[in-house]
Amino acid sequence: MDTRRLAHHEFPILGRAYFLGGRASTSVKQVLREAGVDDAAIRRIAVACYEAEMNVVLHARSGYMAVDIYPDRVTIAVIDKGPGIENVDLAMTPGWSSATDEARALGFGAGMGLPNIREQADAMDIRTAKGDGVQLFLTFKREVTDDGAPPTGDSGTRG
Amino acid sequence: MEPPQPVTVGRAVEALDLGTCVSADPEALIAGAQVSDLLSYVMAEGQRGQVWVTIQTHPNIVAVAGLAGMHAIIIAGGFEPEPETIARAEEEGMGLFTSAQTAYLLAGKLYELGVR
Ligand SMILES: Nc1ncnc2c1ncn2[C@@H]1O[C@H](COP(=O)(O)OP(=O)(O)OP(=O)(O)O)[C@@H](O)[C@H]1O
Ligand SMILES: [Mg+2]
Repeated sequence: MDTRRLAHHEFPILGRAYFLGGRASTSVKQVLREAGVDDAAIRRIAVACYEAEMNVVLHARSGYMAVDIYPDRVTIAVIDKGPGIENVDLAMTPGWSSATDEARALGFGAGMGLPNIREQADAMDIRTAKGDGVQLFLTFKREVTDDGAPPTGDSGTRG
Repeated sequence: MEPPQPVTVGRAVEALDLGTCVSADPEALIAGAQVSDLLSYVMAEGQRGQVWVTIQTHPNIVAVAGLAGMHAIIIAGGFEPEPETIARAEEEGMGLFTSAQTAYLLAGKLYELGVR
């Protein structure tokens, strides 16, 4: 595993501020694009980050998202202060959600967030205890060019 | 039978008679569509270049569409986007359109136009 860390960024996440939700993930997407991470990896990371960010917004009080870029991978940590998850297996079950009626009316609460994250990430580690918040660690492999170096510089188009 | 012609955003806006809250590149080609009001579902299934028909109106829809790389959101059923939703769409360069028609009819018309 290549241990050279190329970049580190942190973005705050405000609990309850659903209308701001997605800002941290959008910022992560931007720094990944600037770092020249391949589009396929960016898409997987963006989906996972969004779900993790909205879980903090909807289910916790506050938190932050940290992104570390390495030549061969990107790691994401999402750390929150909140109630934590009592039963992780249950929470990981597709369709299971504790979302309020209000959140469901806004289109949240399908119980798909954690399953989506698990599907997108190459490795997922969730640490939590009731009352202690949630610490989510994700690893995404990125495409490496032939000489072992990641493509550098601005990698083109939006989207 | 002839394969469907590529459909641009501009053509869809005209053919579906959509109201424009935030415009999108009219020449951009539409690469399919999603019809759903569940954000996690669209986050998982939405693909780059698609348009999204929904009755959700809050700013988070812009985050979802932007992260999925979609071209535009069409708010169906006569609902109007919240002011923050318009502001965020402008900020992110996301097309935002409205229609009094149901999501069902809009989806049918998109399909008829050739959007697959
Ligand atoms: N950061 C968190 N803090 C506390 N509880 C959480 C957190 N993340 C998830 N959970 C719990 O796990 C459940 C399942 O989460 P998941 O993201 O899969 O679905 P959801 O957030 O309820 O709905 P969706 O993500 O589809 O909008 C949540 O309903 C909640 O009870
Ligand atoms: Mg969730």
